[in-house]
Amino acid sequence: MEREFICIICPNGCRIKVEYEGTNIRNIKGDECPKGKDYIKNEITNPLRVFTGSILVENGDFSLVSVKTSVPIPKKYLRKIGEITRRIKVEAPVEISQVVAFNLLNENIDLVATRKIEKKKSLSS
Amino acid sequence: MQEREVIIIGGGAAGLAAAVACQQKGIEDILIIERGDYLGGILQQCIHDGFGLEKFHTSLSGPEYAQRYIDQVKEKEIPFLLNSMVVSLTPQKEVIVTNYRGLRHYRAKVIILAMGCRERTRGAISIPGARPSGIYTAGVAQELINLKNYMLGEKIVVLGSGDIGLIMARRLTLEGAEVITVAEKLPYSSGLPRNINQCLYDFDIPLLLNHTVVDIEGNGRLSRVTIAQLGKRGGIIPGSKRKIDCDTLLLSVGLIPENELSREAGITLDNITGGPQVDERGQTSIPGIFACGNVLQVHDIVDNVSLEAEYIVEGVEEYLGGKLIKGQEIKVELGNGLRYVVPQKMISLKDTTFSFRVNQPGEKKILIFKDGKKVIKKKFLRGVNPAEMIRVKLSSSELEGIKTLSVKLV
Repeated sequence: MEREFICIICPNGCRIKVEYEGTNIRNIKGDECPKGKDYIKNEITNPLRVFTGSILVENGDFSLVSVKTSVPIPKKYLRKIGEITRRIKVEAPVEISQVVAFNLLNENIDLVATRKIEKKKSLSS
Repeated sequence: MQEREVIIIGGGAAGLAAAVACQQKGIEDILIIERGDYLGGILQQCIHDGFGLEKFHTSLSGPEYAQRYIDQVKEKEIPFLLNSMVVSLTPQKEVIVTNYRGLRHYRAKVIILAMGCRERTRGAISIPGARPSGIYTAGVAQELINLKNYMLGEKIVVLGSGDIGLIMARRLTLEGAEVITVAEKLPYSSGLPRNINQCLYDFDIPLLLNHTVVDIEGNGRLSRVTIAQLGKRGGIIPGSKRKIDCDTLLLSVGLIPENELSREAGITLDNITGGPQVDERGQTSIPGIFACGNVLQVHDIVDNVSLEAEYIVEGVEEYLGGKLIKGQEIKVELGNGLRYVVPQKMISLKDTTFSFRVNQPGEKKILIFKDGKKVIKKKFLRGVNPAEMIRVKLSSSELEGIKTLSVKLV
């Protein structure tokens, strides 16, 4: 079977034409770098995406902290992780790269913070 | 009146990169003036990833990308003002700033314009119909959801396929809303192909090209929009109108460089880019006032904003050292196939990076630079797309001795 993919790894967005049977790539055209080949391999076996979103912060100088998965995760889990991020909270302060949720869906999916949030300054101090 | 060597208006991606680059060149007396209550500007609400691939060779979210610069600003103790709005800029490079302490006056040797851009609104595209709540520009929606913790609605239609609209379609889906469709007036998307793939196709959200919203209904809250297909000349195709029940309409219909201050100072603007006309060092029509980032031209990739800021600071350094010598001015003549070029003119023939946007999508194109009839450089482009800025560097040796400069796409 032949299909055109748009690579999402970088803003070049290469259009890659692939001939493949199941998970076996026969011919690949239009990729400008090795990352494109890896992307295609994943795309026809197990498409991976980085989830990004935000979760509530308690006692922080902002009410939300942005988060992402520590590594790309199977695409099929994106919506489920979205549901979870609507329920969970974290206590300020939060540092960039701090793990804010572990082993979600028992699939070893961790969320890390992508913004620094300081503790809210109390009015008395 | 306080004196500063360099004043940077705007503490977003462009302003931060310019400040750090100035500091690295040994310019110590800098002041960043930021209107918002944090540094980083729009990056802080762009919580998706994919930033920094060129600059840092890794994929970062917007806040992470911003933090890399904020850390440097804080480490080098570069002064900045928050919640401070520049309300006046003069050709003598005097600025008036207003904040909670009142008004402050500054005069600088160099001003760097880094005010970014703002969104076009419903008014700019004149959609007829009722005026209910539930209509947002995509960037405002992004701020409300990602920073302010407000959910917008449950059934969403997006008009315009700019990158922010595409990214918000995904974001709203992951927050549990139903994004019914993205309608785009043009026959091609104005967003990057990778965003159409990972924001729409991944979630089975249809992209309707040659479609627009022609009516809005709702009493209090938006209840329904009418979309229609457009013919080749832009008119509505009879019988193509379709009503869609929804409670929210997002507009992602273009960005406008924010140049009220530039205009007040008398800086010459470019009608197409909406930004100042500049020379190869990013200097505007007023010597000592430079521009970079989205206030100069709307970028698609933040890495290019940072690179542009660093690049114009070379000109700032030369200006402060009295070395930015104005030679014979050469206007860059724009030929077929190209919508704009930055810089618009050259006053010296140093290594120069040119930015372009094309008029329409195409494949296998060649960008040709000429001096009169003599070809200076050719660049082959596998595919071109109005959504993707083209950047080409010409070296001083390629530019040496030219009397004119024209560029076209064939």
